Amino acid sequence: MDSSHDDPSGHDSHDHPIDFGKAIRTYLMVGGALILGTIITVFVAYKVDLGDIHLNIALGLLIATVKVSLVGLIFMHLNHERGLIYKTLLFTMIFFAAMMFLFCLAYLDPIKDSFFKP
Amino acid sequence: MEIPYTVNARPDTGLYNAKVGIWLFLASEVMLFGGLFSSYVFLRIGADFPWPFHELKVKPGFINTMVLIASSVSVVAAWAAVKARRFGWFQFNMIFTLCCALGFMGIKGYEYYHKFQHYSFEFTDGSVINGHPIHADEKNHGDRIVFGEVKSIVIDLRNSNLEFLDQRRDKKGELPYAMPANGDLKFKSPSGKEVVLSKDWLKAQKRKWLDAAGELSRMVTAYEIEKAANKGNDEALAAINAKLDEANKVAIEKAKAEDLTQSLKLDVVGEPLLFLAKESSVAKYGQAEMSFKDSTVLQGKLETDAIEFNADLIDLRKNKDAEKALVWKYYPDLKDDFLRHRDEKSEEFKKKYPKRAGTADADPDNLRESLRFEFEEVLPEEHAHKLLHDHSMTVSLPRSEKRFYSNFTPALSPYYAIYFLMTGLHGLHVIGGAIVLGWFLITGKKMYRENPEHLANRVEVGGLFWHFVDLVWIFLFPLYYLM
Repeated sequence: MDSSHDDPSGHDSHDHPIDFGKAIRTYLMVGGALILGTIITVFVAYKVDLGDIHLNIALGLLIATVKVSLVGLIFMHLNHERGLIYKTLLFTMIFFAAMMFLFCLAYLDPIKDSFFKP
Repeated sequence: MEIPYTVNARPDTGLYNAKVGIWLFLASEVMLFGGLFSSYVFLRIGADFPWPFHELKVKPGFINTMVLIASSVSVVAAWAAVKARRFGWFQFNMIFTLCCALGFMGIKGYEYYHKFQHYSFEFTDGSVINGHPIHADEKNHGDRIVFGEVKSIVIDLRNSNLEFLDQRRDKKGELPYAMPANGDLKFKSPSGKEVVLSKDWLKAQKRKWLDAAGELSRMVTAYEIEKAANKGNDEALAAINAKLDEANKVAIEKAKAEDLTQSLKLDVVGEPLLFLAKESSVAKYGQAEMSFKDSTVLQGKLETDAIEFNADLIDLRKNKDAEKALVWKYYPDLKDDFLRHRDEKSEEFKKKYPKRAGTADADPDNLRESLRFEFEEVLPEEHAHKLLHDHSMTVSLPRSEKRFYSNFTPALSPYYAIYFLMTGLHGLHVIGGAIVLGWFLITGKKMYRENPEHLANRVEVGGLFWHFVDLVWIFLFPLYYLM
């Protein structure tokens, strides 16, 4: 395996210095946390009974959200990104959240129990 | 044309252009998947059928989650390797990522394959059994419609394509239709000619029929012109009409003599035929007639339309009275086991959730546990295995008792429709991402030599897409496999 640190193009690699060893350690730790999160999600779904299935679902989604945040912040570098990206994502998140709650419109139905119960 | 700001940041945005581009693209992707997640929520909240909670096997989904997490680590490590000018590590991590993509798709393919092999039969009273139909061979007819004593076939020259003559075997080695394999299919046509049925014969006959129709049409046109020329002359017109009628009669007789009528009844010469037809190719059938979707009609006798089935589960959640369910006609020996299981599970539920005990009979959590009888979980292993695989345990389910029958495809329920849609779309993203990353791996060496920062930027952009794919899966896994 080529472990040369030389910049083959003559460009200064120190323009964007990166501590490779430290970065890999961070990524592996995040990967480990994601695996742990997955195991906890499965455990919560099958072995933990919160008394109401909706609470289990909420907890599972909360863990998934934490995992997604880790991927976004560390792997996608959102912990140190430019303002333009945050602005773009802010609008995305607003529309995304609105879409997730679209089903609430069904509750505006004048018939009391809007959703069919099998 | 040189694309600007591929390496250095644009002064106004502080970002290289590709990064702005990929984030805008990812924002649109969030909307795309967001729409589907929103549909999922709608379907789940408004489901008019028992939601298949905990029905997908967790292991493949769990392994795939691990695989994608590993690939996310390796793709970001590949980027870090280029930034740190360690090309060997870049190559290693990219190859590892591609292997993960391959592994992910392999596991997904395995899951899909097993879904397609698994069937569900719903009786008219709402009882459901899942399992496998026995595939047709010499000894049984599987889920084919058996139509025998076929003494004549009515061919529609406009629409028929004689699809049943296609004797290509499918992946299971099954023929689409089974007929006596004693050589040519000989028939007697209405004009008394002996016809050997083949696609070539049909093609030639269709051509002749169209030619004859064309000739007739030209003749009529010629008479119409003649009539127009004699407008006002009643005597001449009457003579032309008489000639036209005569010519028409002659043309029709000629067409009949050459079997050039749209509907052509062919009588079987020799032994009557037996058809084992796939339901998907049949338009309708009765006791004496069966029509294929290409308008070809068989005249004979319906032997059986039962589905030969081995089950692995009985689900009576949609059934109003579990004790009188139709399914017990076919599995009388399991009735006591089922009822015992139901009562035990219900008792367990009431003890576990005393506050919900009063409404336990309508509680979907209780019904799922008590009325869903999975042989593998409840019965001794050997018995469950025998029920699913042994031919002595095969039951014949008549289609007259069928409300719905399908394998586990999008057709089965809205749950499976959205499951295949979302995981399929996600799978396409995995393939797309792998192609892009593979391209960077192949062409990376040259770019690395010329300008490693350019390669680092490319890998970062490809990696951002890959992380997004991982991110979608992080939600898909719990939603479909765990909740």
